[in-house]
Amino acid sequence: MDFETLRKLSRDPWFGAGMAILSVVAALILLGPVLSPYDPYDMGFRPLSPPSSGHWLGINDGGMDILSELFMGLKNTVFFGLIAASAGLTLGALVGLSSAVAGGALDRFLMRMADIFLAVPPVMVLILVAAFFRPSPRVLALALAFLGWARSAKVIRAQARVVNGALHVKAARRMGGGRVYVIARHLMPEIFPLYVIGFAAQLRVAVFMEASLSFLGLFDPSRKSLGIMIHYALRYYYMDVWIHWLLPPVVCLTLLIMASTFLAVSLEKVFDPRLKETV
Amino acid sequence: MTMRIKGLTVSYTDGDHSLLALDGVDLTLSPGRITALVGESGSGKTTLGKALIGLLPENARIRGRVCLDGSDILELSEKERNRYRWQRISMVFQDGQAGLNPVMRISDQIAEPLIRRLGYGREEARPAVQRRLEEVGLDAGLAKRYPHELSGGQAQRVLLAMALVLDPEYLILDEPTAALDATTKNFVFSLLRDLKAGGRSLLLITHDLELVSGVSDDVAVLYLGQIMEAMPAGELLTEPMHPYSSALVRSFPGMDTVRDLGGIRGDAFYRFTHVHSHRDGSVHEHTHVKAPGTVHEGGHAPLEGCLFEPRCTQAIPECRTGDVGFTAAGSHSVRCLRGGIVAMLVMEGVCKSYGSVQALESTDLTLKAGEVFCIVGETGSGKTTLAMVAAAALGPDRGSRLFEGRDMDLWRRQDYRSLARRIGIIYQNPGEAVSHRFSVFDIVAEPLRIQKASFGPEEIRNRVVSALNEVRLSSAPEFLKRYPHELNMGAIQRLCIARALIHDPVMLIADEPTSSLDPSVQAKVLKLLLGLQIEKGLTMLFVTHDLGIARKVADRIAVMLAGRVVESGPAKRIVNHPSHPYTEMLVESAKGTAAPSLRIEVGGNQDEGICPFLHRCRFATERCRRRYPEVAALDGGHHLVWCWNPRRSSSIMDWTQG
Amino acid sequence: MGIRFKPHSGAVLGYLAAALVMVYLSYSLPMLLPGDFVTAMYSGSDVALSSEQEAKLRAFYTGEEGFGGYLLDLISLQWGISFAYRVPVSTLFLEALPWTLLLMGCAHVFSVFFGFIAGVEAAWRRGRFSEKAGVGAMTVLQGVPEIGSGVLLLLVFALNLGWFPAGGAETVYSEQTASVKTLDLLLHLALPLTTLFLAYFPGNFLLSRASMVMILKQRFIQTARAKGLKAVRVRYAHAARNALIPMVTRFGLRFAFMITGALVVETIFSYPGLGTLLFNAISMRDLPLIQAVVLISSLMVLAVNLMLEVAYSWLDPRLSDGF
Repeated sequence: MDFETLRKLSRDPWFGAGMAILSVVAALILLGPVLSPYDPYDMGFRPLSPPSSGHWLGINDGGMDILSELFMGLKNTVFFGLIAASAGLTLGALVGLSSAVAGGALDRFLMRMADIFLAVPPVMVLILVAAFFRPSPRVLALALAFLGWARSAKVIRAQARVVNGALHVKAARRMGGGRVYVIARHLMPEIFPLYVIGFAAQLRVAVFMEASLSFLGLFDPSRKSLGIMIHYALRYYYMDVWIHWLLPPVVCLTLLIMASTFLAVSLEKVFDPRLKETV
Repeated sequence: MTMRIKGLTVSYTDGDHSLLALDGVDLTLSPGRITALVGESGSGKTTLGKALIGLLPENARIRGRVCLDGSDILELSEKERNRYRWQRISMVFQDGQAGLNPVMRISDQIAEPLIRRLGYGREEARPAVQRRLEEVGLDAGLAKRYPHELSGGQAQRVLLAMALVLDPEYLILDEPTAALDATTKNFVFSLLRDLKAGGRSLLLITHDLELVSGVSDDVAVLYLGQIMEAMPAGELLTEPMHPYSSALVRSFPGMDTVRDLGGIRGDAFYRFTHVHSHRDGSVHEHTHVKAPGTVHEGGHAPLEGCLFEPRCTQAIPECRTGDVGFTAAGSHSVRCLRGGIVAMLVMEGVCKSYGSVQALESTDLTLKAGEVFCIVGETGSGKTTLAMVAAAALGPDRGSRLFEGRDMDLWRRQDYRSLARRIGIIYQNPGEAVSHRFSVFDIVAEPLRIQKASFGPEEIRNRVVSALNEVRLSSAPEFLKRYPHELNMGAIQRLCIARALIHDPVMLIADEPTSSLDPSVQAKVLKLLLGLQIEKGLTMLFVTHDLGIARKVADRIAVMLAGRVVESGPAKRIVNHPSHPYTEMLVESAKGTAAPSLRIEVGGNQDEGICPFLHRCRFATERCRRRYPEVAALDGGHHLVWCWNPRRSSSIMDWTQG
Repeated sequence: MGIRFKPHSGAVLGYLAAALVMVYLSYSLPMLLPGDFVTAMYSGSDVALSSEQEAKLRAFYTGEEGFGGYLLDLISLQWGISFAYRVPVSTLFLEALPWTLLLMGCAHVFSVFFGFIAGVEAAWRRGRFSEKAGVGAMTVLQGVPEIGSGVLLLLVFALNLGWFPAGGAETVYSEQTASVKTLDLLLHLALPLTTLFLAYFPGNFLLSRASMVMILKQRFIQTARAKGLKAVRVRYAHAARNALIPMVTRFGLRFAFMITGALVVETIFSYPGLGTLLFNAISMRDLPLIQAVVLISSLMVLAVNLMLEVAYSWLDPRLSDGF
């Protein structure tokens, strides 16, 4: 990666906005335990109390401190997203790269598999799996990754093939460059931007999935998450509690998704738009 | 109705900087005359075309007048301009396929102006479309196709047909002969003459001087936005009076030029004329011709005729008998470096097919150490395939290759890297031959890095610096950090040359290394290449479609057609006494004296057992239809031709029909 | 134009294979649970099953009929019995389906249509302030998930302002004329539809605009303008037609992801479509219902994607049977 691209990135307003939000989120996650000294599972407080000096966001219907819940939920949601995104992208990149480099029957086979995986609506499978087996969130994150590798694999493979067929790669091979050399020095620099862009996009999807699925009640009911908070808070929408109970998780979630959207947008803009195929 | 362009000035603004593309241009276009506008890239010629048709971008500032029928068309509103577009003035861009809408059929695109502008019905328009297609020499059946189903040349002609459909009085053509081979060019020439005879006024924007002399009535030479000289077209090649015109002509390889590829003094990477407006409102114009870090070219050091004649295979008996021992020790005079006549490369019976297409029929080729061997042919003749097979970049389906006495296939399998080190390859398209993510240093150093071992960073750096110096590029640290997009094509090609030579190969394969470059740059790069070849004693296999270049450069020439060599021999013989009718035709085309023929393009397949030149040959006989010609050896066996009726020239002596 | 229906064979095969995989998954899942599915499911209910019913259920869920039999059952709309509602799944499904189709259908049609045109016009006016502002606003809007906008709309327009009902698709138990009924329907539809529209529109707009911008740079646009054609024609007949192609491709890919949002929105507004059905099924741990709804919905999604694939091949004559 050369300095020019980094500079362009840092000047892009979307990138700045996204990073700013994410830094705040990271700070909140890290400082969470410090800022709210209560155990999120402690049900000893008076339920449905409004905000007070000791509890900035009040108490929910189960007697738990909402602020502490929020921090923990934020952490869970973000981690889920990170795991799903990195696992999905890495798997996808590996498959795409190998497929492009190996070519032939392996390539065809992998792409057929990708077609199948692409066709399956991931949320449906996740719901099925979650409903039947009640696995841990980590497993679900990996399941999401497993369902989502196909997209990045196809994109990366397409670009890898283009680069592979380029004259400068042919020239390098004819000068004696072996497979490893070509991959490392010619393919990787072209693939790397796609990886980063895909990561931001996948992160967005994963966070959204996590929130939606927990909202629907598919996770362990005692697990703290932004989605489940919204789920419970929504039941009391007719009461005044929505300001301090419903809004905070909604706002947090929105900001989180906005941040990853902004990052994805700015990364796409900055890295050569030629990289984008019509996929 | 004459169109008079007066004082046309166009600048493109970018903040408070302006780029002056045209500076006070005066030009007249009269009916029934062809005017040529000659210039290289950056001269502003495309801007002129676009200005006339009103397609300049929003940041263009226009001054001056274009008078037609008493009114200034620059002053018209967009609506009025739209009315005269295509109907009075139309333009043929040089985009080929890219200029056509990929999801519309050809017939629809050509008929569109008739339907939308003149209110024709679809049925009415059909015969008109067919007529236009035939006019440009295309089969009317192509009308139903989509753009991606056409070849580049066909697409370009569709654009022409489309431009003619409303019968405009003025036709602007942008580089109509770019990348066309000699025979198609002739056809285009005659087509242009027909158009002129019909009373139209044509403006040809081009850097092809043949087009100027062969077809045009008047010519204007444009350099950095200003017209340097205007004259009757015929005088450009014979009596240019401005130094630039004369230098341009000199750089253009052609059959007539006796003096040789000199190039033009100075080397501009960035060619701008800047208009700065200062804060106090004053406008300050000055011209930059920025050329950071170059060494000025020596100018017009003459490359006389066949600089390589002493080593030419015409002198084979001497070379053969004068079994000189190894004149080793880093010699600079390349004379049988290996001693004796060790042939550098001997290929026998190599052929190559891609699926059902036979790109290369059984061919023999021998390269002698230290010579320059040119392969000449049209696109699709198999010349690139042959070169790549010679370079060990491709493996043939059958046949043997001996390189430096060793079996190439075996060598490839055992230790490809050591084989790769001995061969350097230069490609036609410098922009694509380098990765745009590599810096100048990375590009030149790549072969060393691939070879790994034995090269420490210190040594790599030294070698890169000396390689850059050899190709007359700067080796300053700032330059080493540059990226390809900051350089022009000529500079990138020099980088490729440096890269190919950095590990001291013994053989150099050059696949049309100058075809994609501007003419003045072509000359310099060629000169550089040849200089290096002599200096280092390289054996060079040079592929080109231009017999004119081959003439300047080669010791021996082989002419290829449809995957076969049809004639080969010493360069001087091939050029002065061509024996195969095809070669003869190539020579005449290059001289500009060929008789034009209307060729309706048909995608043909070459049948086995028939001479591939059959359909175009004036001397074809029955025998040519039945059997592929056997080889005939002339002139003591050094000049070979595959033809049943080879041309005799007055000085032919020996004949042996093989 | 008839000979152009040649969808990419790989994709078609992919969809068929995916469909089979989904069916097989749903077929085998119950068998993977520990213990006897039927007992686990129905033992907790108050209904006593006759031995005949029990045997039938067991056959359905434990694969005694084999995969082929399962497929036949699917086709004949025998999708099992809901544990919580005690009616056949197909009844529940078919009751909820029309509502979902109404909501999703309208949302997609509006967002694609308006998004496309807005994108085309925006690209044509590139560089002007209105275009830049539009792009900026839509990027921000794109970052707002359906949960967020749904909840906000609910709070503001239904609860605080009371302009729209807070849930359901219609007001039942009332004798109403057709026009009043329609109005009632529309009022109920308004908020969930707006939420989905706000979620889908930015993506379509940005995509359409981006494709248009790239198309406008291409050489054949210059040719079209030089031909003296009206600006509108160049914009739509030449440019937009080409820009439509990537939109169709990407729409297909995004479709599967849009379902999550639709699910959530239906739940928030208690809209009686498949989303709410699924939500209720999940809360009540009604595995048979979950399984069937998921399966049939997935198959429908696959069918939609397949149709898009065909549409794509019709739109772009450059595609032959290769990739």
